[in-house]
Amino acid sequence: MEQHLSKEEEKLTFCGNLFHKLGLFLMKRTLGQQVGLFVRAIASIFSESRSFKTDSRNIILQTFFTGVEIFPVLFVVATLFGAVVIVEIMTMMGKVGFSDVVGSLMVVVIIRELGPILTAFLIAGRSGSSLTTYVGGMVIDSEVDALATMGVDPIRYLVMPGLIGGTIATFIMTIIFSGSAIGAGYLVIKVLTVITGNVLNLQLTWDYLSTEILKAMTFTDFIFIVIKPLVFGCIITTNACYQAMNIPRDIRQVPKATGKSVIKSFFYIVCADVVLSLFYFLDYFNEISKII
Amino acid sequence: MNNEALRIENLHLSYKGLAGTTFSKPSALAYFDKSSDMDKELICGANLVLNRGETLCIGGPSGQGKSALLRVIAGLARPSEGRLYYFGEHIPAERQTALEIAKRQVGLVFQNGALISNLRVRDNIALPLRYHKKGSPKEIEDKINMAMDLMRVRDCATMFPHQLSVGMQKRVAIARSWAMDPELLLMDEPTAGLDNYNRRNLLPLIDNMRILFKTSIIIITHDLMIAKELNCNLVFLYNKTLTEPHSFDYWQTADNAISRELFRDLRTSG
Repeated sequence: MEQHLSKEEEKLTFCGNLFHKLGLFLMKRTLGQQVGLFVRAIASIFSESRSFKTDSRNIILQTFFTGVEIFPVLFVVATLFGAVVIVEIMTMMGKVGFSDVVGSLMVVVIIRELGPILTAFLIAGRSGSSLTTYVGGMVIDSEVDALATMGVDPIRYLVMPGLIGGTIATFIMTIIFSGSAIGAGYLVIKVLTVITGNVLNLQLTWDYLSTEILKAMTFTDFIFIVIKPLVFGCIITTNACYQAMNIPRDIRQVPKATGKSVIKSFFYIVCADVVLSLFYFLDYFNEISKII
Repeated sequence: MNNEALRIENLHLSYKGLAGTTFSKPSALAYFDKSSDMDKELICGANLVLNRGETLCIGGPSGQGKSALLRVIAGLARPSEGRLYYFGEHIPAERQTALEIAKRQVGLVFQNGALISNLRVRDNIALPLRYHKKGSPKEIEDKINMAMDLMRVRDCATMFPHQLSVGMQKRVAIARSWAMDPELLLMDEPTAGLDNYNRRNLLPLIDNMRILFKTSIIIITHDLMIAKELNCNLVFLYNKTLTEPHSFDYWQTADNAISRELFRDLRTSG
């Protein structure tokens, strides 16, 4: 192995060698290996063994597995969360006389930040952990080894559908979360207003709420509505499969790997959110520099 | 054409190599264990030659590394030293992965069957055929039916693995491997956990594969009588290495430590 690598290194230029060594360094680290797994899962879509019928079936099953089963919990959480956020923002902003920023705040809190993050957390907790347990169980029972000995690439057969299906489901669920938080949240407030006799004195109509939100949404928001869930979905599913694939042959390691999968997904999601938020900061800086 | 199905030269295997190489790039995903025990050698300087169409049984006391040896041959573990030739072709250590070995028509039947738990029996057998697009849907269907008939598992075609007995699971696993037309079939304890009736039924099926399809077969077993019933050679993994292959009768009458230890019960029972 060592000889093989040194021969490869000999053929490379200085820069090539540098990247080669960087690649080897990264592949020995968890994050590097996860990126490697992600790239190989994507690359496996184009392998010779691709079959549109089987692949689409597996991906649809995975999308349903990730999305449909979490829907009831996600809907309730989104509705209650939306209702609380709308009430808080309306009352607070009304008190300090900033009613015109209600739409912007709703966009920032629900659509831009907490909507995608909470959806990702719910999916990591429910579907990510299930995926780790499912694939981990297959590793323990030698099913993954059996696939490999039959020439069936486990990354193509198990990771790829999980990755694509999970990512599609995360995207759909994020849209549903944001929609439910605003739409169903508004309905809850209306019902509460009728029941309590409008104790909080909220002057809220659907026209006002929807117009304010649409007015506050920028082009970047529409782009990030798509990008954020896709990034989070990739993180959750890749991490879940990675943790499962690395389980040693010991059943006690499955719950450990499941816990690790969830916690690390939370961590990576927050880190990715910070990185993606930098684009918004760049946007603000551009606007400020224009004003100056 | 080279008459050898498998040649192993000076094979060494440490626990580190056994840790797992399911994927085509094991260094990227294999489990890393930093404990010093991982450098201990499990197999030390083993040699073996298996000709095409031959059956060979590998026996030995528990914990000597018989299954580990099978994992190395199947590409699921990486040897620390030594050379492996499949049908005359040398596979270098860095390419010694299960996916690579599977391309050489090498099949493995696991001790527990290792059937895919969320697939029915029929789909388990069909999985590798459909994945590798081995023929038209009609041809694949015929092959599945033939494999199920050969192993007598057609009655349970629509069942899931957890609904099957241990013996049934093993037969389905063999059917799945057979459907891939392996030229070299590795079997880990095929008779373990089977009653006498199922054991008696299974052995002729294995032998038929060798006779009808010229499949080379390696069987890892504690059940030494298999070697006698299949009339094949027997080697032992003993003291971290493989012995020379000899017939069951030779080992039964030989005066050496292995025979004294492993054939004691068989000798006394006659």
